Amino acid sequence: MSGTAVRQAPQQKSRSSAPWLIAPGVLWMLVFLVTPILLIVYVSFWTQTTFKIEPTLTLQSWQAFFGSDTYLNSLWTTVRIWLIVLASTFIIGYPTALFVGLFVKNKTLSTVLLVICVIPFWTSFLIRVLAWRPMLGKEGAINILLQKFGIISQPIEALLFTELSVIIGMTQIYVVFMVGPIAFMLGRIDPNIIEAARDLGAGFGRIFWKIIFPLSLPGVVVGAIFVSVMVLGEFATAAALSGRKVNLLGNIIVTQVGSLKWALASVVGVILTIVMGLVIAGFLRIVDLKREL
Amino acid sequence: MAQGMNSQQPVFRLEGVSKSYGSVTALRDITLSVNGNEYISVLGPSGSGKSVLLRVIAGFDVPDSGRVVLEGRDITDVPAHERGIGFVFQNFALFPHLTVFENVAFGLRNGKVPVAAPDVEQRVKDMISLVGLAGMEGRGVHQISGGQKQRVALARTLVMAPRLVLLDEPLGALDANLRHRMRNELRAIREKLGVTFMHVTGSETEALAMGDRVVVLDHGRIAQFARPDQVYGQPASPSVAHFLNRYNIFEGELSGKRFTGPFGMIDAASVTPADKPACAIRYDRMKVEEEGTPGEGPAISASFVASEYLGSSVMYFFEAADGRVIEVEHHLSLGQPQSFEPKRRYRLRWKPEDAIVFGRG
Amino acid sequence: MESRVLKPVLAVYTLLFILFLYAPFFVLAILSFQSGPEGGPQFPIIEWSTYWYRHIFGMVPPSRVAPLPLGEALFRSLTLAFMTMVTSTVLGVMSAQAFRRKFKGSGLAFYLIVLGMMVPGVLTGLGVSLLANNILGIERHWWSTGFVTHVVYTFPFAFLVMLAILNRFDASVEEASWSLGVSPARTFRKVTFPLIFPGVLSAMLFAFTLSYDEFSRTLFASGRDQTLPLAIYGTFSVEIHPNVFAFGVLTTVFSFALLSVYAILMTLSVRRAKKVAMQEDIA
Repeated sequence: MSGTAVRQAPQQKSRSSAPWLIAPGVLWMLVFLVTPILLIVYVSFWTQTTFKIEPTLTLQSWQAFFGSDTYLNSLWTTVRIWLIVLASTFIIGYPTALFVGLFVKNKTLSTVLLVICVIPFWTSFLIRVLAWRPMLGKEGAINILLQKFGIISQPIEALLFTELSVIIGMTQIYVVFMVGPIAFMLGRIDPNIIEAARDLGAGFGRIFWKIIFPLSLPGVVVGAIFVSVMVLGEFATAAALSGRKVNLLGNIIVTQVGSLKWALASVVGVILTIVMGLVIAGFLRIVDLKREL
Repeated sequence: MAQGMNSQQPVFRLEGVSKSYGSVTALRDITLSVNGNEYISVLGPSGSGKSVLLRVIAGFDVPDSGRVVLEGRDITDVPAHERGIGFVFQNFALFPHLTVFENVAFGLRNGKVPVAAPDVEQRVKDMISLVGLAGMEGRGVHQISGGQKQRVALARTLVMAPRLVLLDEPLGALDANLRHRMRNELRAIREKLGVTFMHVTGSETEALAMGDRVVVLDHGRIAQFARPDQVYGQPASPSVAHFLNRYNIFEGELSGKRFTGPFGMIDAASVTPADKPACAIRYDRMKVEEEGTPGEGPAISASFVASEYLGSSVMYFFEAADGRVIEVEHHLSLGQPQSFEPKRRYRLRWKPEDAIVFGRG
Repeated sequence: MESRVLKPVLAVYTLLFILFLYAPFFVLAILSFQSGPEGGPQFPIIEWSTYWYRHIFGMVPPSRVAPLPLGEALFRSLTLAFMTMVTSTVLGVMSAQAFRRKFKGSGLAFYLIVLGMMVPGVLTGLGVSLLANNILGIERHWWSTGFVTHVVYTFPFAFLVMLAILNRFDASVEEASWSLGVSPARTFRKVTFPLIFPGVLSAMLFAFTLSYDEFSRTLFASGRDQTLPLAIYGTFSVEIHPNVFAFGVLTTVFSFALLSVYAILMTLSVRRAKKVAMQEDIA
C-alpha cells in the first residue's frame, strides 16, 4: 500500500462524532476514578467518632496517623519492602532480560521465553500467592529439599510468616514486569554497535557498562514504575504470607475500612498516593521516557 | 444510461477552494468547472495537491475556504456518503471480508434507499459482466489478480450510477502491460455509461492519453486546464513543460520580446506569461547537425552522450557546455536514425517559431 | 571470548529463573492430591488421592473442613466478568475510535483513561466505597459499585488493545464505503467492525480475565456478597486446607482452556489470512 493509505481520518467524524465517542469513557473515569480519589483527600479531613463519620473538617485523623507508632511503622515497612522488592526484581530479572533480549538471536525463541514468563499470570493472583505457603513452610518443599541434601539439619522456620516470605512472594509475582520492558529495550539494540565496540577491543564488562546498560535504562525505569506501583499498593501478599506480622499501608487501609474508620483509611490512602507520586516522578526524572521510547 | 446529460452543462464546479494541513498548503484558490460526460485527467507531481483535490471533492476532507458545487447544489458541507460521488482508490480499498459480488452489491444493499434484492442481483450481475468479471462473483477479493481488483473497484463504484467518479491514481498499482490495457477499458466503460471521470495521475502520458481535458496542478495551483493537444503543444508555464517531460527548458533573460539564453539571443513572436523567463523547445523539434554546418535559426552546441531506441522513435542525449542534458527525439517515420559519435560536439538547431518563450511579458 | 562463557551461564540462569516462577505452582499442584480429610497442606503426601477435588464438588461426606463457598461466588464472578467485559470493550472501542483523529484534549483524555490501570486497587476501591457509603449513602454490591470499579480497571486495557489495532487499520475501506453512499454508522457496523473483530476479541479476553481474577478493588467495593477471589481470600486468614490448592489447579485449567480456545481461534484466522495471501501471490 502506498502513502495514500496513511491519511487524515475522516472529516465528518471529527466534526460531529469524536466528542460523543470519547465522552462515555472520559465521563466514566471522571466519575468513578477521579472523583473517588479526590474524595479520599476530602474525607481524610472528616471527623471520625467510634461508629460515625461526619463532614466536619478536622486534622484529627492526620494527627492520629502521625501520632501512632503502628501507623508510622507501616509507612516505613512499606517503603522498606518496596525498596527491597524493587532491588530484588531488578537483580534477579536483569540477567534473564539480558539473555532473552540480547543473547537469544532467534526471534521466535525469545518470544517463546517471554510467553513462558507470562503464562503464570493466567493463574489467579491469590492462588499464586498461596502457592508459596507449601513452599516456604516448616514442612515445606524448600525445607524438605534442603534437609534431604543435608545442607541443614533443622528446618528453617524463618522462611514463612516473616518479612522474608513476603519479599520472596512479591519478587516472584512482580519480577516479570521488570524482565519484559528491559528485554524489550535490549532487543532494540543494534548488534552492529556491540560488534563495533568489540572490534575496538572492548571487553564484555566495558561494553556492558558503556553501551548495553545505558541503552536498557528506559526499560529499567518502566519496569521499576510497574513494580513500584504494584508493590506500594499491595496488601494481599503481606496478609497471606506474613501471618499478620507485616502491615503495609494497604493492610492498614483494609483493616480501617473493615472497622468503618473511613477517615483514617483515607489519611493512609492520601499518604500512599503521595508516596507513589513521588516515586514515579523520581523515576521519570532519571529518564525522559517520551524521548527514549 | 446517463446519456441525456448535456455535455456542455457543468456537472460540477470548484470555486476558490483552498486547503492546508498545518503549515503545508495543499490547495490554493482552485477554481474549476467540469462538464457532464467528460473525461478529465489531473496531472501533477507528488505533493502537487492532486490527491487532496479529489478528497475535497469526495468529501473526505473539508476545504478551508471556497465552495464545491455539484449539479448546481452547494455540497461543501455535505458529508461524503450523501454526495453521490464515486471514488476509486489507488490501493482499490476493496472490502477484504466480502466476495466480489458482495463488494459490488455493497452500496446498493447498505445505502440510504434500500434496493430490492432481485434488483440488486440484476444490477450487480450486469455491472460485473460490463467490467468483464462474469463468473468471478463468488471469489474472495484476495483470490483475484490486481487487474481484476481494479475492475471490482470500478464496478462497485459504477453500479451506484454516480454523476461523477473520482479515480485516485487508479492504474498506479498495476504493472505496465496491464496499465496499458486498462487505459483503453476505462475510456470504453466511461463512454458507455456517459458518466464524468476525474482521473488523477502522476504520469504525463496517461494524463494526455486519457483526458478529454487535462488539469495540470503545480504546488496546489492550477497551472493549466486545457485539451491534451493544447497542453502538449502550448504548455502554460515552464513547470507544465517540465511535467510533460517532452521539452528542453533553458533559463535566461528576457527584455521585451528578446530572450537571451545559453544558446544566444532569439526574438520571440509571443511571450507566455510566467514568473521566470525561460525558453522551452520540444524534443522532436530539434535537429542535430555537424558542428560548423551553416544554418538558419538558433542553435546550441553539445556533445553526444547516448541514444535510446523507443520503437517508433529514437531519443538522443546530449550534454551542453554547462552540463545540462538536452534530449532530441527523432521520429522514425521521418527517416532512418542517424548515428553519432560519443563525446563529439554537434549543433542542435530549431526553428524560431518552435521555441516557446516564457516570462513577464 | 567472554560471551562464549557468558551465554551458557545466562542460559542456565534463565532456566533457574523459570523454575523460580513455576516451582510454587508445581508444589501446589502436587499437594492438591493429598489424602483427606486428615491430610494437611504440607509434605509429606500421606497418600495420593482426589479427595480434595471431590470435596470441592461436595462429593464427600461432611467433615470438619467446611466446603469452599464456591457455587454462588462462581456465578457472581462469571456474571461480573461478563458485564465488565461487555462494558469495557464497548467503551474501549468507542474511545479508540475517537482517538483516530486528533482532537482537543486528546492527550489529557489518554492519560485519564490509562490512569485507571495504574492506580492501585486499594485506592480506587477505597475511593468508590467512600463515594457510595459516605456521599451517596447507598449500599455497595458486586453488580453496582464492584462493577464500576472493575470497568475503571479493565477499560484502559481494552482501550490500548483497540488503539493498537486501529492504528494499523487502513481507513480507505471506510472512505470507499462512504463514497458508495453508506452512512458512517452503517460503515462501522458493516466494514470497520468485521475487520477489527480479532482485536475486539483480544480486548474482550483481557477484560474478562482481569475482572474474573480481580480482587483488591472488589474487596472494598462489592459489599456483602462475595465473588470467587474474595471467597479464596477469606480462606487466607483461617487455616488452609488442600481444597484451596485443588481449587487453584481447577481455575488454572479453566484459564488455560479459555486461553487455548482464544489461541486456536487466532491461529485459524491468521492461517486463513496467510493462505489467502499465498493465493494472491500465485494470482
